[in-house]
Amino acid sequence: MQMPEPDQQIIARRESICAALAKLVPAGSVVSSKEGRRAYDADGLSAYRQLPMAVILPETVEQLAAVMKYCHAEGIKVVPRGAGTSLSGGALPLADAVLIGLGKFNRILEIDYANRCVVAQPGVTNLAITHAVQDHGFYYAPDPSSQIACSVGGNVAENSGGVHCLKYGLTTNNLLGIELVTIEGDVLRLGGKHLDSGDYDLMGVMTGSEGLLGIVSEVTLRILQKPATQRALLVGFDDTGAAATAVGDVIGAGIIPAGMEMMDGLAINAAEDFVHAGYPRDAAALIIVELDGPEVEVNALIDRVAGIMNKAGASSIKISTSEEERNLFWAGRKSAFPAVGRISPDYLCMDGTIPRRRLPDMMVLMATLSQKYGLRVANVFHAGDGNLHPLILFDANQPGELQRAEDFGADILRGCVEMGGVLTGEHGVGVEKRDLMPIQFTEDDMKQQQRLKCAFDANQLLNPGKVFPHLHRCAELGRLHVHKGKMPFPDLPRF
Amino acid sequence: MPTIQNLDDAAAVIIDAQQNNHRLEVRGLGTKAALGNQPDYDDCLDVSAMQGIIDYQPEELVLTVRAGTALSVIEAELAKANQMLAFEPADLSGILASKSTGTIGGVLATNLSGPRRLTAGAARDFLLGFDAVSGRGERFKSGGRVMKNVTGYDLSKLICGSYGTLAVIDEVTIKTLPRPETSLSLLFGCDDMTSAVAQIADIFASPHEPGAAAILPQSIAAAAGLDMAAAMIVVIRLEGIALSVEDRVAHFRQMGQRDTGRVLGTLPQAASESLWARIRDVDLLAHAGGDIWKLSCAPASAPAIVAAMEQSFETAYYADWAGGLLWFAGPSGTEFGTALRAALMAHGGGHAQLLCDRAMSKNSVPVFQPLPPAQASLTRRVKAAFDPLGVLNFGRMHNGM
Repeated sequence: MQMPEPDQQIIARRESICAALAKLVPAGSVVSSKEGRRAYDADGLSAYRQLPMAVILPETVEQLAAVMKYCHAEGIKVVPRGAGTSLSGGALPLADAVLIGLGKFNRILEIDYANRCVVAQPGVTNLAITHAVQDHGFYYAPDPSSQIACSVGGNVAENSGGVHCLKYGLTTNNLLGIELVTIEGDVLRLGGKHLDSGDYDLMGVMTGSEGLLGIVSEVTLRILQKPATQRALLVGFDDTGAAATAVGDVIGAGIIPAGMEMMDGLAINAAEDFVHAGYPRDAAALIIVELDGPEVEVNALIDRVAGIMNKAGASSIKISTSEEERNLFWAGRKSAFPAVGRISPDYLCMDGTIPRRRLPDMMVLMATLSQKYGLRVANVFHAGDGNLHPLILFDANQPGELQRAEDFGADILRGCVEMGGVLTGEHGVGVEKRDLMPIQFTEDDMKQQQRLKCAFDANQLLNPGKVFPHLHRCAELGRLHVHKGKMPFPDLPRF
Repeated sequence: MPTIQNLDDAAAVIIDAQQNNHRLEVRGLGTKAALGNQPDYDDCLDVSAMQGIIDYQPEELVLTVRAGTALSVIEAELAKANQMLAFEPADLSGILASKSTGTIGGVLATNLSGPRRLTAGAARDFLLGFDAVSGRGERFKSGGRVMKNVTGYDLSKLICGSYGTLAVIDEVTIKTLPRPETSLSLLFGCDDMTSAVAQIADIFASPHEPGAAAILPQSIAAAAGLDMAAAMIVVIRLEGIALSVEDRVAHFRQMGQRDTGRVLGTLPQAASESLWARIRDVDLLAHAGGDIWKLSCAPASAPAIVAAMEQSFETAYYADWAGGLLWFAGPSGTEFGTALRAALMAHGGGHAQLLCDRAMSKNSVPVFQPLPPAQASLTRRVKAAFDPLGVLNFGRMHNGM
């Protein structure tokens, strides 16, 4: 992974930069020692590590804005970091960049039941939002698997999903407002407690922009009432294709489950060995369907779904009759990653999306690739929305295996795009999939995205080296071949 | 007036306009031409020929369609598979005196969303991807044809509600949802706006899944055929399988007897659907005089905003989105709009748009909420990133961009 060439002149000024930054924040908020910085050298994609030039931990939006303003004026790159749980290297430091940690922005500012929203600082964890409102029966719907640790600011940056986003949407669909600090140190408030604004949806493009457009300093999140009842079905199939068809049949019948997950044989057995959830070990595919809502509705729909599954050729069906049983059904799925970790020294977790009907083709492709690379692959899918999480098993201590695993992963993602899907469903591009972007996007597609970046960050100081494989100067991106055109924006730089 | 067949044609027209210093109006069926500012354009880029459903996979919940396709064509196609556009786009042809509901491109460009926006999301939440030509005259695409996708910036959000000022879109992929098997409405009577909003807050603090919530003052309700003895009528729509809807009605009936409001009755499916269509289409203010304004506000702020306006003006109004969407009819001219925006700012902020300008007030009052300075300059830079010469719908949203 080639990161942008560090600017040695900036690095040479490290001590004076740290001293200048220290004047902008309370004592102890600049981490400059090597040991101190070590704690920030990677995020959830731990295969990549880099010591940041300095770490700064502002406490207020004023301090954050002052730090951004200083970095902008001095031409210093900035890498934002929430809880550091990104699986795509979104918070990977750069050798010549200041890493801004939002960990001290850890307060819930307001719980507003009348408007059904929570205003929070970006460092608050995802699960803490639900904990703060659950006494009133409310919860925050997006539930990425890292929800105990990941921050809501990071959720905005990555547009995080979770197992329930088929019915309840991603972060972007549950976000009402943000406060944003630009690289120039301007503070903008976008959205609020109301629904749609009639302006350009700048909050919408900020969501999922992976820290390249600005730093979120406050969020307003929509909260929902917890469904009255949740029940789940555990369905085994002897054939993956039949299982994939069954998932489509449920949705085709007009039923949108709260969650619909699938696991393949290797994942089923790894999970069963680990948590003994009662999964059918001989099944080729396992589907967990969760329905939520009013009790009479859930009970009626559970029967309908069971009927559909039977008709589709299910080899086994279990229906949860208690909360304990429902949680047990989920226990295997939720521990699938650590369970696979037990059967292999290392694994790579991929994150492509395909049109769901192509799942059987994808299974064939993965089997072929598994043979080609001599590596096993275990599969867990968010089947309802076609989001795949193949886990490629390898041993980093065997020379060449990491490279082989990465090549295997790239081939899977290439297959996703060829089948009409995309490179990443919820983990983000970051550094991990940066160089694969040309598989999905043409040079012109990416240039237009980068022009948007230039509108927010003309000097490209925010999180450079992420998402886009080639950095173009904004002036170059803005060049337009017009000879006698008038210039309605004479005061603007052209990009 | 160039009529284009595809994006390559569009690119050629745009580049030609660049060369000739022309500004283009992007136009589908023209049904929403009255929305936004009305600057003079040198020429019109007619996109209405880019029609047709390209791919529809009901069990994938995904529809790919060309942007010039009539909304009515799409809704008919979805109905065959018992599905719908869940954001429930409004038919503004009544209040805008236009001939049809227009194209899907127009719906997306104006982010037009109806009563179900409250619980299901807006048009912007359902656009999964698109391909387009920018005001630079260059083709690009964004997003994809799958439901879950975080690859690259989410330009779908930006395109929705941009009033054609950034790019000309062709193929759009939209998430569809199953149509509910049944629906009905439950009516509550409340003494005033404050208790109506409180009643709705109670309803949304229950797990009984209300799907839409409107507040109709007595006179508005009466004009819609609901002759009820209450100052404010709260209309709650419930959707789902029949068993579930009945069960939830029973729960809400008990709740109404406990709290601020009282249950007035229920509307069966057909009557309920027709009432919600009138709420959605702003038909309830079609006969009120003056201008029509659309306000997006914090739901709990609605009573204070209404009170402030009623104090100074003769106005008709009602609320959708649990109070978060206020429709006002009021006297034409700058005064009413200025007062509305002041009331909005005093009560949590939001967005006020002059939707229906019967007396051409928009010559004197901004159609869209004026932007704070930092947001205005960022907005100008975003416009320039897509359309540096201001070829597309220049000035349609804000003067000078």
